[in-house]
Amino acid sequence: MEEENRELNPENGSGFTKQHQEEEEDHKVVKFLDSADSYLDLFDSLSSTLRQGWLELATARQSMGASRINRALFDLKYHNAATSLQVIQDDVKQPNFTLCKWVSTNNQNCSTEEAKFDEDELFEKNSTNAQLRYRGTSEIQEKSPESIGSKLTVVDQIQKERSKSLSMFGTLVSPKLRCAQISFETALDTLIEMANMRSSLLSAYDQVHKDMASTKG
Amino acid sequence: MYGFEALTFNIHGGYLEAIVRGYRSGLLTAADYNNLCQCETLDDIKMHLTATEYGPYLQNEPSPLHTTTIVEKCTLKLVDEYKHMLCQATEPLSTFLEYITYGHMIDNVVLIVTGTLHERDVQELLEKCHPLGMFDSIATLAVAQNMRELYRLVLVDTPLAPYFSECITSEDLDDMNIEIMRNTLYKAYLEDFYQFCQKLGGATAEIMSDLLAFEADRRAVNITINSIGTELTRDDRKKLYSNFGLLYPYGHEELAVCEDIDQVRGVMEKYPPYQPIFAKLSYGESQMLDKAFYEEEVKRLCLAFEQQFHYAVFFAYMRLKEQEIRNLMWISECVAQNQKSRVHDSVVFIF
Repeated sequence: MEEENRELNPENGSGFTKQHQEEEEDHKVVKFLDSADSYLDLFDSLSSTLRQGWLELATARQSMGASRINRALFDLKYHNAATSLQVIQDDVKQPNFTLCKWVSTNNQNCSTEEAKFDEDELFEKNSTNAQLRYRGTSEIQEKSPESIGSKLTVVDQIQKERSKSLSMFGTLVSPKLRCAQISFETALDTLIEMANMRSSLLSAYDQVHKDMASTKG
Repeated sequence: MYGFEALTFNIHGGYLEAIVRGYRSGLLTAADYNNLCQCETLDDIKMHLTATEYGPYLQNEPSPLHTTTIVEKCTLKLVDEYKHMLCQATEPLSTFLEYITYGHMIDNVVLIVTGTLHERDVQELLEKCHPLGMFDSIATLAVAQNMRELYRLVLVDTPLAPYFSECITSEDLDDMNIEIMRNTLYKAYLEDFYQFCQKLGGATAEIMSDLLAFEADRRAVNITINSIGTELTRDDRKKLYSNFGLLYPYGHEELAVCEDIDQVRGVMEKYPPYQPIFAKLSYGESQMLDKAFYEEEVKRLCLAFEQQFHYAVFFAYMRLKEQEIRNLMWISECVAQNQKSRVHDSVVFIF
């Protein structure tokens, strides 16, 4: 009883530290469980998005014909990747993945790494803006007409890049093929979110594991 | 002369009309489709199809099956039936039967040219070509750099030669040029086929005019919808529409300026034969438009069998068989992807 009083006494430094430590451990466990839950949600979302994409592709094939949609039409000529992945590893244990979508494939003079990096920066900003759009559309809507105008330009550019990617199947493609493209693009975004979530999950697990080891010790 | 086919048709066409009507009775029924839609695996589909006229073509295929294998083998049956009819046919039926395959020939030409532009292997492209559209010098298409060479080296000796006059340029082939070439060739082919049927006269001309006009109108709608939001200008779009059909010329004028699906609907609903098609769609939606058009086409093709002594039954049979193969492809895809709830989205029952 005296010991409990000693522990509960706020003036007792060691008791407060132990309570704070327990709270921190609980917080880490909750963070780990939250990450696991989010990861599983993303997994389900990816699965259903991919199913939808494959069905839309089959629907497009039904509409346009098997000769217009088949893998024999994939472009084997050398060309820059339309989308690239950046891995930022500030923290060794928790790398961060960022998708740079729809880098222009039209710029034939873009042979230097610097020029390509500039384009990546532009489209990374655009992709970051796109992420912001998902999280807070109202913020974008409150902005000035100039930013709305630039947003429209970005949207037009993205639409152009999307059409360019589909051009291997022809220029006049069914809207169903465009829907399939959007679905696979969403699936790619989800994959990157999953990679980041997994990184966070593993980091949280490491922390919990470390705490458990130190508690036992 | 219209009305007197009964006196002379059977001399040259009677046997083949009987053959094609026999083939027609072998088309899959609603009961067959219901069984196929309940299959759990592609092997189940193969088992059900083995009990139909596709049996000899599928029974020896090893597992695991792929959807493309099922489609290939079913297409082989169609090709065998077509070749049997063609080798027995005399003029003008033999020319009529050849006309039916020019659409596939155009698709094959575009496939080879596009694949070559993408640096694909010619052999791989030839394997993907439709067998009904093959011709001797098709592999030489890979050598051409522009449309002029395409015509001069290869197509001048093919039935597609007359259709090239409108699209011969010395511009290098790229994705947009190829697309315009595809649609220009198909437009010229449809118009030529239409004129040929008019010359035949009688019930053939009457029934084929209706079927080809529907095809031209459907193509106009698809070109319009597919070109929304692309770089294709209004004038270029209008040039791809055929010069016949219910929509020619005023419907084409209005379709050429449409910017979204609702405007297309507004144009098409002015034409009574197309009102029921667009009535099935909700506003802003185009997903079910293909199925609605296929259903209307099947209805018209089935009506062709209600009259005798004309060539349209051959065209109708070939198109119905192609629809059947599309149905089988869709059912196979839904089963393979474990999406059986969506199987009725695109299956069109025949008869």
